[in-house]
Amino acid sequence: MKYFDQLKKQSEFYVFLIIILLGIIIQMRSGLFFTNNNLLDIARSMIVPSIYAICAFLAFLSTGPDVSFPLIAALSSYIAIDVTTKMGYAGPVIVTFIIGIFFGMLMGALNGFIIVRYKFPSLIVTLGTSTIYSGLLLGAFEAQRMDLPENLADFGRTSLMTVVNQKSGLGSTLPMTFLIMAGLYILTYLVLNFTMTGRGVYALGGDEVSAERAGFNVKQIRFGIFLINGAIAAIGGLCYSIMSMRYLPTEFAGGEMIVIAAVILGGTRMTGGVGTLKGCILGTLLLTMVSNSLILAGVAVIWQRVFIGMIIIIGTAVSALQGRSSAKVSHKPRKEAA
Amino acid sequence: MKIKKSQPDGNMIRLLAILAAFIFIAGITKPALFMQLGNFQSIGKQLAEYGLMALGIGVCMISGGIDLSAVYIANLCGISAGLLMQKMIPAGGSNPGAMFLSIAAAIVIGALCGAFNGFLVSKLNIPAMLATLGTYQLYMGIAVVITNGSTVSGLPSAYTALGTALVAKVPLAFLIFLLAVLILSFIMQKTIFGTRVYLVGTNPKSARFSGIRNSSILIRTYMISGIVAAIAGLVSLARINSAKADFGSSYTMQCILIVVLGGVNPNGGFGKISGVAVAVVILQVLSSYLNMFPDISNYFRDLIWGVALIAVLIINHVIAKRRIAKLDSV
Repeated sequence: MKYFDQLKKQSEFYVFLIIILLGIIIQMRSGLFFTNNNLLDIARSMIVPSIYAICAFLAFLSTGPDVSFPLIAALSSYIAIDVTTKMGYAGPVIVTFIIGIFFGMLMGALNGFIIVRYKFPSLIVTLGTSTIYSGLLLGAFEAQRMDLPENLADFGRTSLMTVVNQKSGLGSTLPMTFLIMAGLYILTYLVLNFTMTGRGVYALGGDEVSAERAGFNVKQIRFGIFLINGAIAAIGGLCYSIMSMRYLPTEFAGGEMIVIAAVILGGTRMTGGVGTLKGCILGTLLLTMVSNSLILAGVAVIWQRVFIGMIIIIGTAVSALQGRSSAKVSHKPRKEAA
Repeated sequence: MKIKKSQPDGNMIRLLAILAAFIFIAGITKPALFMQLGNFQSIGKQLAEYGLMALGIGVCMISGGIDLSAVYIANLCGISAGLLMQKMIPAGGSNPGAMFLSIAAAIVIGALCGAFNGFLVSKLNIPAMLATLGTYQLYMGIAVVITNGSTVSGLPSAYTALGTALVAKVPLAFLIFLLAVLILSFIMQKTIFGTRVYLVGTNPKSARFSGIRNSSILIRTYMISGIVAAIAGLVSLARINSAKADFGSSYTMQCILIVVLGGVNPNGGFGKISGVAVAVVILQVLSSYLNMFPDISNYFRDLIWGVALIAVLIINHVIAKRRIAKLDSV
């Protein structure tokens, strides 16, 4: 019972309930939700958004919104793919990833430097840098659609799991990129929860001054977060290209808002210091379900955005009201003391 | 002690100097193309749409928030006006009353959308960025639903004529923008409401303790942004003779850039509408100038704007620091 009480306080729990409810509704209306191919499809569509979600999550946790990850993803994966194609490289995929990660980190470092050095709002800085990256990508490099080099294409064709629905005959495959996503989540989880630096990320988001007095190197941690965000964004961008089997320069931008919404729905506090990776996954799952499966429930595609908007507004309103009531409770004793 | 008279605004002088420098460079390097009445007319016409939205976002940012939904409010209002006109005015006909009614309806819708934003931000305490992120999906969604995802086009010619209309050689759209600048400057600098918006933006807590009802101020602030966005939607409807739910999605970014370039502090409390207005003109002059080089890709503008945004932030930061140092030394 005590466990349940604790559960009730977490926004993750409510998101989980909504997901179950939505799943049951869709199942009842169409009978197609809890089928192996649909679930695998959802898992597949979740891969890239949930990788991006780590970027948005880490940024919120420590500093504030980061909206540059789609364009870091676009530019770094472009460079990685372009370089390996031009070199005629055909070795292991990891090298392509390392090139991408390197450039992603460079771009992340620029974000981190400006934010740490000048203490500007991260939203404005990352908006600015993502415009710069977009200008570099489409203006300076004149990036075009291109096919993947053989090694990446091969990697994209190998699948982790393939299922065929016995009843409908529809099949679905889970690509290898799923493992990359899972790996990133496990790694981030371990670092955040079991290392001093990881605890520092939470401390810094909660109260910067206290974190500094507690002995955390606030500047270093914050810079590190944006560096890592660049790397994760690059991985996400390469995964996206691998899954769509070609590089599409203009398809990256604009995805950031939905990812941010997913992370916030999952209980990450916008003001920093509060949030879990579990929440990121659940938030992403909810929004992926809305955009993937709503059509199964007989809701026309044109209503999709209205639903997403409503979910964001209601979800954030609930967590804002929650935050306010918990703040009130903590204020009470102080009043009595006075 | 002598009270210093208000010094000429340093930021404004810088902005005007930048504008003059750009026009000078453009005039020297491309005299045949740039120094044309037609060019200035098209600059005036093009800047009105996102310029109006930037003004609205600027007001929100002064109040300590942000409005990411302005572009989609504009689209929604443009679409509503377009659909109403199509319904009420037969093809080829003209009906000034119906046209006026549609325009009024669009502005009311914009005000309602803005008021809803303000409600979410002030009454429910949702951070402005998130609230307007949600409503941006919502308003875009509503626009998709009422148009069934298609483009609204084929408007009465009496209305589209307004899009190209010139008043004493000045495009009507630019005059609307200018009028909005004047009205908003007046509201922000000369009225009690404007002063309160600045106070709420500087420090919401002390504003509340000094007896200001923050929520009513914020709701009105976002309503202004909604109304201005609605006007922008109407202007763009007239200019391109169509409206679409996802039109101009890059404007959001561009407007925030303009507002920050114009000297508004992203944390709220500082900045002037006139600065935002000059920044709008600077951006459009620059982009028209870049358009005159056919071999420079349009996307280079992004690069320049991004660099400009970061540079302006840093410059403003350094200047503010120096000012504080000066105050300390006194």
